[in-house]
Amino acid sequence: MSYGLALIYGVLKIINLANAGILMLGAYVTWWMWDAFHLDPLLAPLIVIPLFFVFGVAMERLVVRRVLDQEPIVSLLLLFGVWLILQNVAYVIWTGDTRAIETPFVDATVKLGAMQLSWARIYVFCAGGITLAGLQLFLTRTHLGRAIRAVAQDREAAKLTGVDVDRVNAVAFGIGIALAAFAGSLLSLLFSFNPDFGGTLQLKSFCVVVLGGLDSFVGVAFGAVALSLAEAFGLRYMAASLQNLISFVVLVVVLIAFPKGIAGLLRSMRRG
Amino acid sequence: MLEIAGLQVGYGEIRVLEDCSLRVERGEIVSLLGANGAGKTTLMRAVSRLIDPGAGTISFEDADITRAPASRVVEAGIAQVPEGRKLWPDMSVEDNLLLGAYAKRARAHIDRSLEEVYALFPRVKQRRRQIAGTLSGGEQQMVAIGRGLMSRPSLLMLDEPSLGLAPIIVAEVFASIRAINARGVTVLLVEQNVAGALELASRGYVLETGRIVMQGSREELLASEMVRKAYLGL
Repeated sequence: MSYGLALIYGVLKIINLANAGILMLGAYVTWWMWDAFHLDPLLAPLIVIPLFFVFGVAMERLVVRRVLDQEPIVSLLLLFGVWLILQNVAYVIWTGDTRAIETPFVDATVKLGAMQLSWARIYVFCAGGITLAGLQLFLTRTHLGRAIRAVAQDREAAKLTGVDVDRVNAVAFGIGIALAAFAGSLLSLLFSFNPDFGGTLQLKSFCVVVLGGLDSFVGVAFGAVALSLAEAFGLRYMAASLQNLISFVVLVVVLIAFPKGIAGLLRSMRRG
Repeated sequence: MLEIAGLQVGYGEIRVLEDCSLRVERGEIVSLLGANGAGKTTLMRAVSRLIDPGAGTISFEDADITRAPASRVVEAGIAQVPEGRKLWPDMSVEDNLLLGAYAKRARAHIDRSLEEVYALFPRVKQRRRQIAGTLSGGEQQMVAIGRGLMSRPSLLMLDEPSLGLAPIIVAEVFASIRAINARGVTVLLVEQNVAGALELASRGYVLETGRIVMQGSREELLASEMVRKAYLGL
């Protein structure tokens, strides 16, 4: 989810507040295919990812493109509106009841020494790692991937080399949306959810992205690990209800101390 | 090859170019001279379709490109090396060059183009794995020119390639422009370094506050009282 946010911000310079709604939809589509058609939720991403990529491209073409040149507040409000719409659509279709996916795999656990880990968590963690590796390969080794980075770093220079910036915007938005839906599909294995699912995660996702640097995926992955470690340690010393507090403390500290995130810090060190 | 007629460009209320006309023939080096703010960069940006002209036409090889999307201009064979170089600072030198060959017309020839650029700028080859933002100004300028060449243009437009460079590097950059032209690439050169530009160019135009005030061969320009006084300081 954080990757999606970082990708869309990096290329289009807008903050996709609808990401949480897409995450929630990804979870619902996964659940619905399992509930109605008995499709194994592990296979759901095969449908969810292309479906939401197309949805994202369409969303960019029809809606987001119109506000790209305007003040940031316009796209913020627009995408916040999209989030509300998605939420309410989900209430209408699936009601407000809490849903959960229960398959033998979801409940299975494995013992690693003293730890009891669920397979689902291991699977989700690996999927995150593979996604990062895949994204990194795509962005560094393909023409389209390089063009996406080019638009993120200098839009005019990209135009001057013949990159169709409109197309890159649409593709990047599509990938960002697909990533958020994929994250939702994965998280539906771990958590039960209702149409409000994703709100807290979205806030954490902002922290992760800010922590990692707004346009670096490796930085974002580091940010995610750092934040979850901070939360895990924090839990030993304070009440669980204060867990979210940690995210925000981290966010504020990072914004003051090194506003360009871990990646920005590394970059300025590398440049000397 | 490139023909601009009656071009008018403004940003909002401010008019930057006023009824500009110029032409570049195949194989030439044409320089566009003028002081800061005269509209030289604006003219190049209009040709590359980064900005919309208010009136007038731009045609390239007899095709009208006045309203074409920027990517089609590159596809038609025009590359611009922009002022300030505008590399992608966080990418490697080689990635910068490879992106230069993004246009369809260039993709099939990437390996050959890369070799040609490295032959022209051996120093760029040494630095190919380095992050572009860490290069010196002169090296960055060479990468920017190389990136322009990667699209295999028939017309290369260079905007202030000598800006901010040490004299010895300027000579090197100008020599490379001559070499590029010798290979059959037509060059439109915007320069504040008028003496250097007129050494390279066979013809030139003088732009002042949005209008072409003078044009002629190198000899005519060098002989003109106005050019000598205003731009050569003689």
